[in-house]
This record gives sequence, structure tokens and C-alpha cells, in this order.
Amino acid sequence: MEAPPVTVMPVTGGAINMMEYLLQGSVLDQSLESLLHRLRGLCDDMEPESFADHELVYLLRGQQGNPFILRARRSLLKPTSPWHLRYLGQPEVGDKSRHALVRNCVDVAASHSLPDFLNEMGFRMDHEFAAKGHLFRKGQMKIVVSKLSRVHVPGNLENTEPLSLSYLVELSVLAPAGQDTVSEDMKSFAEQLKPLVHLEKIDPKRLM
Amino acid sequence: MQQREEKQLDASVESLVTRVAHLKGSLQSFIYKLENEYDRLTWPSVLDNFALLSGQLNTINKLLRNEKTPSYKSLVIIPLLLSPDRDEELAKLTEQRVPVFSHEIVPDHLRTKPDPEVEEQEKQLSAEAARIGPEAAQKQIQTLNKLCSNLLEKLNNPRDDRDSETSALRQNKPSFNLADTNALVAAVGFGKNLSKCRPPGSVAPGHTGQAMTSAGPTMQQVTIAGAAGHQPGMSGQVTQQQPGQPGKMPSNIKTNIKSASMHPYNR
Repeated sequence: MEAPPVTVMPVTGGAINMMEYLLQGSVLDQSLESLLHRLRGLCDDMEPESFADHELVYLLRGQQGNPFILRARRSLLKPTSPWHLRYLGQPEVGDKSRHALVRNCVDVAASHSLPDFLNEMGFRMDHEFAAKGHLFRKGQMKIVVSKLSRVHVPGNLENTEPLSLSYLVELSVLAPAGQDTVSEDMKSFAEQLKPLVHLEKIDPKRLM
Repeated sequence: MQQREEKQLDASVESLVTRVAHLKGSLQSFIYKLENEYDRLTWPSVLDNFALLSGQLNTINKLLRNEKTPSYKSLVIIPLLLSPDRDEELAKLTEQRVPVFSHEIVPDHLRTKPDPEVEEQEKQLSAEAARIGPEAAQKQIQTLNKLCSNLLEKLNNPRDDRDSETSALRQNKPSFNLADTNALVAAVGFGKNLSKCRPPGSVAPGHTGQAMTSAGPTMQQVTIAGAAGHQPGMSGQVTQQQPGQPGKMPSNIKTNIKSASMHPYNR
């Protein structure tokens, strides 16, 4: 049920396969201010954007083992913006020397009828969470500092509870497949954030 | 005797003129840079320019203090001939800045006393200095020297001392927690601690805790309501499922969709 590997997919329709390069880390609440100061200095000169999003993760289970996962995200600050639907593939097991986690990524915008549509298609919502935080940008790189909260009653976002006392820090780049210089740039940027945050390649399967 | 003095004078004036010409050149380039390239200018390069100017001023000062230089204070320049006519030689010498050696330019160029306002201020300052008396003045000089030397010491001390203090402080307050990192990445990656409906077969009761059990029943109710809502739409292929396994519902619906997806409009 997973999309076939990148090398096998034919190039159709003019859409380039985008890969997401990802490094993750976290920062404790009390050190958040210093991290934001540092990012404000390091990143491109613009006011950091704050966001509050609600993400729902939908699963489609087939007869085979792995379910197909789609992530639907909507903004709580701008309720009229379209929903954002994202597919993230399995992390590519390339050479171990690559510094970032690389996975296939497909992003589309969708209308507000997305949850109903996915339900009709047969997807079932597996879990949801709220993410609130700041977004920074440096060239191609995107740095997201967000606080994840658990939603107690599905659909009700008044009553959320933070998952932990830390903020999740993610450094990501969306680039076409095959550009390995991207991970070098990411690594040097991650060096500049030490020792406040240690951004590294964390394989989610290891944490299952 | 006089010839030697004259030769000394000539030589010192020559070197002074060259030094001043250097200073003028660097000032000119600095002004040009400030006026035309101000958006590309960085603070370190501005500092470099200032350093260059200060170095050149220093050499001029050293030259003036040199023992070989005769005291210019004892020499006087007297204009012998003033004319309102344009003098080509003078114009060439001064790069067109002084074309006429006339009554207007002489007070400015041959001035030996400072401006009247500056003179006033200098008089006031020297009166003030004389007023406070020599001991107080000495004390003030000493405190200034002490402050400067303290500051210099702090700045010049090896960085290691400072770094060890700050690193000790930082070690007492770690800024991230590895366990939290893993928990957050797991939550975003596959919904650890967030997922309400545990798929059958995957067991993780130890991790989920209280929040899950309270949210569990509500989630299951919602899916059953959803499944029940779908039933009238299906062509009888959906069978009634037990509440404990909402995960089995989608498979029936999916087979329906699969058969319908044999369409000719392949991309």
C-alpha cells in the first residue's frame, strides 16, 4: 500500500518527486527564549511567523500489513485557509553517512470537506494533535519550533494538554530527489544551534 | 648651520606633505565608500578604514615629534603678494582647490589661531583645570588610568577563563531533554501516546496511561456512529461489527472502492 520507491516511479505529468530532508530535536520550555533569539539572529530577516495548527492523521488499512497514512492539517489562526494534506513515505535507507532523514513527500491543498472526503474514501482518523509555535526560514531550510498538545475530545480544541515540557524543533528542506548537498547545509546549520538543541536524524521506527 | 636647518626643514616638510597626501587619499576612498556602497558596507570594514586613518594620523604625529623635525612653531608664513588674478601654478599644485591667492583665502589657509569659539572653550577648560588644583587633578588622572587598565585586563585575558565560567553555568541548566525529544518525535511520527484506537494486535498499554482510557470510549463511539452512518449507503456488504474492533470496518468499504476503480482514465 506504500507508494513504490522513488527510483521506480515513472516521471509523469511534470510533477517532480519531492523529498523531505528532516532533522529533529527538542528544547525545554525554559530555554525556548534563548533558542528563539538565536534563530532570529541566524535566520532570514523577517518576523518569525507563529502558527497554531490542528493535525489529524488518517490511516487506510488494507489486507496487507502496513496501513497507508495521510496527514491533514488545518490552521487554527486562519480558519478560512485551505487544509493541507501531506503524504510522507518511509525513510529512505540510503547510506548511513547521510546526515538527515530523507523521505518522499507529497503536499496538496484541500478544501474544508477534506475530513468527510477521507472518511468516505475509507480512511479512519488514527490520532490528532494540536501544534502551536513559531516558524523560521533560512534559504531553503525551514525551522519549526512547536508545542504539541493532546486533544482530549476529538474535534474540541479548547481542552488540550501539552504532551511534554518541551518544544519540538524540526529542521526540514523540501528538495527534489538526489540532492545530497542539502544534508550538508542542514548539518552545518544544526551545528550552530548546539548546545541549545541537538538536532539529529531520529528514525521513528526505532522508537516504536 | 643655517643650510643644514634649511635642508632639515625641506626634508621634514616633504615627508609631512607625503604623509598628509596618504591620509587625504584614504579619507577620500572612505567617503566614497560611505556614499556609494553604504548598503554593502559591513561594520568590520568600516572599522578597518578607521584603523587605517588612525594609523596614518599616528605616523604624522610621530613625524612631528621626531627630533630631526625643526619646531614649526618658530616659523612664520607671511604672504608677500596677494592678487585677485587666477594663478595657474597654484591651481595645479592644489588640484584646482585654490585657484586664486587672494584676500579671501589667506585668513583661512594661513590661520594659526583656532576659531574664536574654540578659543573660548579652550580658555574655559584651562581655567577649570587650574581651579581644581594639582592634587585633585593627579587623583583624577590616577582613577582614569586604573579604570582603563582594569578594562584592558578584562578584555585581554585569555578567553578560557570566561568560557569555563559560562560552560559551568550552562551545564547546570541543560536546555533539552533527550527523553522528551524521543517522546515528541514518536508522537509526531506515529502517534505514540496520542492514538485513541489501538489497531488490533499492536500492544502498548504501558505507554498510554490515563488520558487514553478516558478518550478511548469517546473515540470508539464516534467511529461506530460513522460506520453506522455508512451502512445505508453500502450495498449490503457491510456487516455489523463489534464495538471493540472499529478497525475492521474500512476493509469492506475498500473492496468496494477497488472494484470501482477499474476505469479507463489512467494517468
